[in-house]
Amino acid sequence: MPTLVRKTLRDYRRVLIGWTIGICAFAGLYTSFFSQMRANPDLYSQAAMNKYPDSVRRLLGGLEHITSGAGFLQAIIYQVFVPLLFIMCAVILGNKAIAAPEESGTLELTLTLPVERKRLVLERFAALALGLLGVAVVSLIVIVGIGSAVDLGVPFDKVLAAHTGLYLLVLIFGTLSLAVGAATGRKGLAMSVAGTYAVAGYVVNALAADVEVMRWLSWLSPFHYYSEGSPLFNGFPVGDHLVLLGASAVLLLTAMLSFDRRDVGV
Amino acid sequence: MDARPHTKMRCMTAVVETEGLTKFYGKRRGLEDLTFEIQPGEVFGYLGPNGSGKTTTIRLLLDVLRPTRGTARVLGTDPRDAAVRGRIGYLPGELALEGREKASEYLQFLADVRGGVAKGRIEVLADRLEADLSVRMGQLSKGNKQKVGLIQAFMHEPEFLILDEPTSGLDPLVQQEFLAMVREVRTAGRTVLMSSHVLAEVEHVSDRVGIVRSGRLVAVEDVSALREKAVRRVEFHFDAPVPEDAFRDLPGVRDLKVEGASVACTIDGRPDALVKAAARFTVVHMVSAEPDLEEIFLTYYSEEVHHAHVGA
Repeated sequence: MPTLVRKTLRDYRRVLIGWTIGICAFAGLYTSFFSQMRANPDLYSQAAMNKYPDSVRRLLGGLEHITSGAGFLQAIIYQVFVPLLFIMCAVILGNKAIAAPEESGTLELTLTLPVERKRLVLERFAALALGLLGVAVVSLIVIVGIGSAVDLGVPFDKVLAAHTGLYLLVLIFGTLSLAVGAATGRKGLAMSVAGTYAVAGYVVNALAADVEVMRWLSWLSPFHYYSEGSPLFNGFPVGDHLVLLGASAVLLLTAMLSFDRRDVGV
Repeated sequence: MDARPHTKMRCMTAVVETEGLTKFYGKRRGLEDLTFEIQPGEVFGYLGPNGSGKTTTIRLLLDVLRPTRGTARVLGTDPRDAAVRGRIGYLPGELALEGREKASEYLQFLADVRGGVAKGRIEVLADRLEADLSVRMGQLSKGNKQKVGLIQAFMHEPEFLILDEPTSGLDPLVQQEFLAMVREVRTAGRTVLMSSHVLAEVEHVSDRVGIVRSGRLVAVEDVSALREKAVRRVEFHFDAPVPEDAFRDLPGVRDLKVEGASVACTIDGRPDALVKAAARFTVVHMVSAEPDLEEIFLTYYSEEVHHAHVGA
């Protein structure tokens, strides 16, 4: 592994460990609730249906299938909360790639090493992608492990498909915050651009079924490609996943080119 | 085949060569129209008050900043070529080191990216500067950060050292050790550019000094030539009163004041005539103040400007 990737991962270590624990605790705890739900399907189904007004239910991605294993995983794990936590982790790490060290002044010495700027961005991205992959793998193991303990009954390849989508979704927002940081050197800006895009993207996608303009806008939302194929029911949506991967690639390229042509630390 | 023309050409290539190098931050001038050269084996002192453009110059040479106008060549190549930075050691003026990593681990990382350094080299430098490398970087004192910065700049024995305010935060003993390290680098024929806001910090190791004011290089001068021009205050005390005639009209002697057994004056240039005159009497005590080169430098320079303006 290149020195710079290894060093960046070492710098990410504490954030990675903290967020892995957080995400896994959340995902593990909520997955384990399935056993209660299965014991009382009518109660939970009714409760879920009646508890929320229609609009809220749509924002949560519909709760109709909540008593089936796949429906439960979709609504409780993959719809809002785990993506939200994981995206926050990715945005923080993306910010630590360029913008945060630039603002604190530690980037200057790194920049005067015999490493091309494009390569610096590329290796920082590689560390980001590897770090997030680590979080994804550990959380997948937790979900699959606890899922089989409570008898979720969702085949592994379907969970893997959903989790791959989750990883690709999260990678986009991490790369976006890295790219804004690489282009501007401002960590506040990088954080708010990535955060706003995540919230707006989610809302637009959730309301796309009902509002005409949202349907068009949702093509610009990564959440559209994340949820459209319902991987927990249908397996790998290859096209959607390629779109997500392509978006990260475009953002990475933008980051490399824009960082290569500007003044650093002014 | 005769290898000499090649060697000669290498010697001719300036380590730094800039032409009309200019940097504006928006409308604010960082540096304007800098044209200068640093020759191989030279120690160049780069002087100026804070915010005068020293750090801007250095960051342009290292490709951290991109020039608004003009060109710079470092070690014969464009600073944008990343490989050239492998031949440079750099100490930033505002060195930021943070995190929970130990200083030794960070230095090892920098060494690895640079393709490794000689075994034991980091430890030797740490010993010389009395730096404790087992401390976490976020907890290093200002002086210790500066030591870590110096170690990483010197450790790979680069052809060209760029040191931005290297002595800030160092206590006097460590400063002496640092200056010794710079002298060794010069003896080895390598090149140094070091900035400071006071001449006194760099005059003992520099061959030439340049002064930059509000983004412009206002003067470049040989330190030895400067010393020749130095005006210094001298006092002799004798065992008996001396005649004023013995010291009057000596070359270079000014502001002569003879009071009984003591003689005070300033000398301009060599003290030879004065010393010979004094040697005819019994000297019991002698005081010679170190000349303030910076004062002389600026006086000298402002006279030059004055003459230039009168001439024009």
